[in-house]
Amino acid sequence: MGTTEKLLIVKELSKKYGSEKVLHSLDLELASGQVLSILGRSGSGKTTLLKIIAGLEIADTGDIFLNQKHINELAPQHRNILYLYQEALLFPHLSVAENLAFGLRLRKTPAAACAQKVAQMLEELGLSEQAHKMPDALSGGQRQRVAFGRALIVQPKVVLLDEPFGALDAQTRQQMQFLFKKLAQAHQITAIFVTHDLKEALLMGDHLATLDQGQLKVYPSKAAFIEDAETGVMAELAFWESIKTDRPTGHEN
Amino acid sequence: MTKKYRLLALLTAFLLVFPILFVVMLSLGKTWSYPALLPEHWSVATWSSLFQDQRISQGIVLSLIISISVGATASFLSLLLARSIAYSAHQRQWLVGSYLPYLVSPVVLAAAWQYYFLRLGLSGQVQGVWLAQFLITLPFGVIFFNSFWNSHIRSLEQLAATLGGSPWQGFWLVSFPLAKGPLLICFFQSFLISWFEYGLTALIGVGKVQTLPLLVFQYVGEANIFYAALASCLLMAPPLLLLWINKRLVFIRSEGMEDQKE
Repeated sequence: MGTTEKLLIVKELSKKYGSEKVLHSLDLELASGQVLSILGRSGSGKTTLLKIIAGLEIADTGDIFLNQKHINELAPQHRNILYLYQEALLFPHLSVAENLAFGLRLRKTPAAACAQKVAQMLEELGLSEQAHKMPDALSGGQRQRVAFGRALIVQPKVVLLDEPFGALDAQTRQQMQFLFKKLAQAHQITAIFVTHDLKEALLMGDHLATLDQGQLKVYPSKAAFIEDAETGVMAELAFWESIKTDRPTGHEN
Repeated sequence: MTKKYRLLALLTAFLLVFPILFVVMLSLGKTWSYPALLPEHWSVATWSSLFQDQRISQGIVLSLIISISVGATASFLSLLLARSIAYSAHQRQWLVGSYLPYLVSPVVLAAAWQYYFLRLGLSGQVQGVWLAQFLITLPFGVIFFNSFWNSHIRSLEQLAATLGGSPWQGFWLVSFPLAKGPLLICFFQSFLISWFEYGLTALIGVGKVQTLPLLVFQYVGEANIFYAALASCLLMAPPLLLLWINKRLVFIRSEGMEDQKE
């Protein structure tokens, strides 16, 4: 695929903190409307990669192109690339509706259009009843939904998600994964989804990659990702298979 | 509460309140000679002098102007300075630098600065005293706001940036509203540092800038204990008022938080 068809291109990106090399000459490409899942352990350089793309950190070497435009020198506020943290990071002094409207107000969206978009987003997130609540009155899952809505309402070119469901319980996490898939399809989101959870990586991404000690490996297909022993999918499958085989027959009842 | 703790609480309250009551009582005395336990004559004459003796009324106004402006300026600027330090690659070195003015007493600092204040024509001037007090309170504010600019607040500002906000918008729309409480506390503290400052003011002001603490010492030096007590009462009034306001604010805030939880 030629570079002109890609929305985001990262070329030979490197970063080190002191003598510790965090990213090694990393390349990645992402087409519009696609979600790339990156699986990586803690300290593998995931956050650094996302922050560099968002403009919150500076790379030592390498180039980033967005819509074929070189954006290395562009300030974060001019990139239209949104970085979502593990924490929802809602602005604590603003209500749910005001949090959603924050990005629109920065863009000087007229008040009527702003109110309409906020109401629509609240409806989509199932949070219409919570519009006037303050963030500390919301549950973890609700907070994360508002964080999603606040990001999507400004229609960013790329959304960078840094283990967004890491702090949620298993059930809420599943609901949020479902919601993200739904929103990603509805809004044609282009995103990089970083996680250390194998199942989540497989569920969320149209494309899959691993990041290990600053080295990114992008897989041509889901099958290739599953077959690679380094991803751990085969080991996981073998584990569940062994559980199934060893299961006492009495449990079936 | 057991009897023992109630007694301890009463004793503590007495030790805290007694000096205040004693100074108020003294300011209302007229003659008090040994070995009388209390002043022999009572009068409001000392308090009436507030309207007659210009030294006291001028001292109050001057102290209020200096302390309010020093407190407000130092609080706001230290919030900004602490932010720059939090984002700086040399955060540690800057913070160590902020502690340096407190390694020596303000009087020693004033003696060291005196040369520069003389050269700048600020010695013996209100502006000079203002600047000296500001230089003492600013590092305090920086140390105070160091913990405010933690990774959480910085992440909120970064998030505002990716949402399209400039660094100034990130500060003004996100961090500043969150800093209002700490700003108020920093202002109270800086105000008090400035309000009670004696040595620095005496040296830089060379006795020409007559703030309330200087008047208290002057009256004590003149053995005018009733005037000294009056000036002390006036010196204690704003801190007591601030303490009361602070208590009310904390009380209202905690009540509000309880309401939100419900």
